[in-house]
Amino acid sequence: MTDDKDVLRDVWFGRIPTCFTLYQDEITEREAEPYYLLLPRISYLTLVTDKVKKHFQKVMRQEEVSEIWFEYEGTPLKWHYPIGLLFDLHASNTALPWSITVHFKNFPEKDLLHCHSKDVIEAHFMACIKEADALKHKSQVINEMQKKDHKQLWMGLQNDKFEQFWAINRKLMEYPPEDNGFRYIPFRIYQATTERPFIQKLFRPIASGGQLHTLGDLLKEVCPSAITPEDGEQKTQVMIHGIEPMLETPIQWLSEHMSYPDNFLHISIIPRPTD
Amino acid sequence: TQDLGDGYLSKTHFQVRNRHIPPDLKEKNNDNAEQMLFAHVEEPLDDSQAAGVCSTEEVVRYEYHVLYSSSYQVPVLYFRACFLDGRPLTLDEIWGSVHASYQDRLQEGPWDTITQQEHPILGQPFFVLHPCRTNEFISAVLGGSQEHHRHTNYIILWLSTVGPVVGLNLPLSYAKLAPEQSTDADL
Repeated sequence: MTDDKDVLRDVWFGRIPTCFTLYQDEITEREAEPYYLLLPRISYLTLVTDKVKKHFQKVMRQEEVSEIWFEYEGTPLKWHYPIGLLFDLHASNTALPWSITVHFKNFPEKDLLHCHSKDVIEAHFMACIKEADALKHKSQVINEMQKKDHKQLWMGLQNDKFEQFWAINRKLMEYPPEDNGFRYIPFRIYQATTERPFIQKLFRPIASGGQLHTLGDLLKEVCPSAITPEDGEQKTQVMIHGIEPMLETPIQWLSEHMSYPDNFLHISIIPRPTD
Repeated sequence: TQDLGDGYLSKTHFQVRNRHIPPDLKEKNNDNAEQMLFAHVEEPLDDSQAAGVCSTEEVVRYEYHVLYSSSYQVPVLYFRACFLDGRPLTLDEIWGSVHASYQDRLQEGPWDTITQQEHPILGQPFFVLHPCRTNEFISAVLGGSQEHHRHTNYIILWLSTVGPVVGLNLPLSYAKLAPEQSTDADL
């Protein structure tokens, strides 16, 4: 029987084979070959694509290069969303490798946050962790930690060090023995078809009678259209880390085992493939 | 506490750099994404004053939104700024335009203070004044006002404290409350 801890490793080491192609209108001195890379699902585009940037900059003139940004089938990709979320939301039911287009000009100011250095990614990552702990523990656990512990979470992510990361993160997954779970569950639900970028609401993992709330309970409460079948057919898939967890799964367990390193459950609602 | 749902407060004003023009404030509660635009740009008295001061690059259009963070249970100030030609201000330019009194605090921890983030309803990049410290200083002030039996509107208190950091100044008329607003039920 698989240990729950194996789930933590499977989540951490998930990878997406990706092919990066330079946008055709970028001006190059010679032809740019595509670049292939296995992207970590749990990380961020701008954190893991230094080699991609170097590869394409080699064939471009310095003055043609400004801030790098990525796009998939015309949609600018938000670097501040984890890679696995971007893939599940936009490309999960398409053939691998994932084809991403690389741009160095015309940064889409209205769509994307700037990312001029790794400090920006670190600030964003830590802000998410802090918000998650505000929900889980009224910020008590994160505030009790020293600065070096915060740094260790970031370094663990940046250097792909599972043990280093979880040595600290396990404290963020604990709760008082008298409770049966966190105060509220940190989650965001994404649907590519809606105006609104995501749904985030207060949701308790334990019902007033003491029963554990499930993934189905969460969806019924905050996004009922995701699980209501139209004409008896389920038109959507509920996806986390590339899989469809059973709706009966306790949300407390999902939060402890299938959150991203930022401590949020990022859930995608996508159209079910018809064939 | 009231569930604000998808609504947010929004206001736009123009500001000439290095010379503050107090806007005529009329706020509207917005349930959709419409912004109310009101311009109050000073007309130059003569041509010699126009040169160098009233060029469009010097005028900045600020847009402020007040949203409620259910995670921190406090209001959060989102804003964006661009020049009249449409060019948005960079994070460095925003940091540079923070009021002089707050520059030291900003230098201490810029990444804890103002950062660029995705607007949770519009999905577009905005600058955000971090809510982490809000509870600390608001509680301290509220505690004091309760002791002295002063009536307090939480939003006005919060906005008059954080607003000036990013160029949003409330006129004194906001301090005058209608009698029915000033009850302890507000807190």
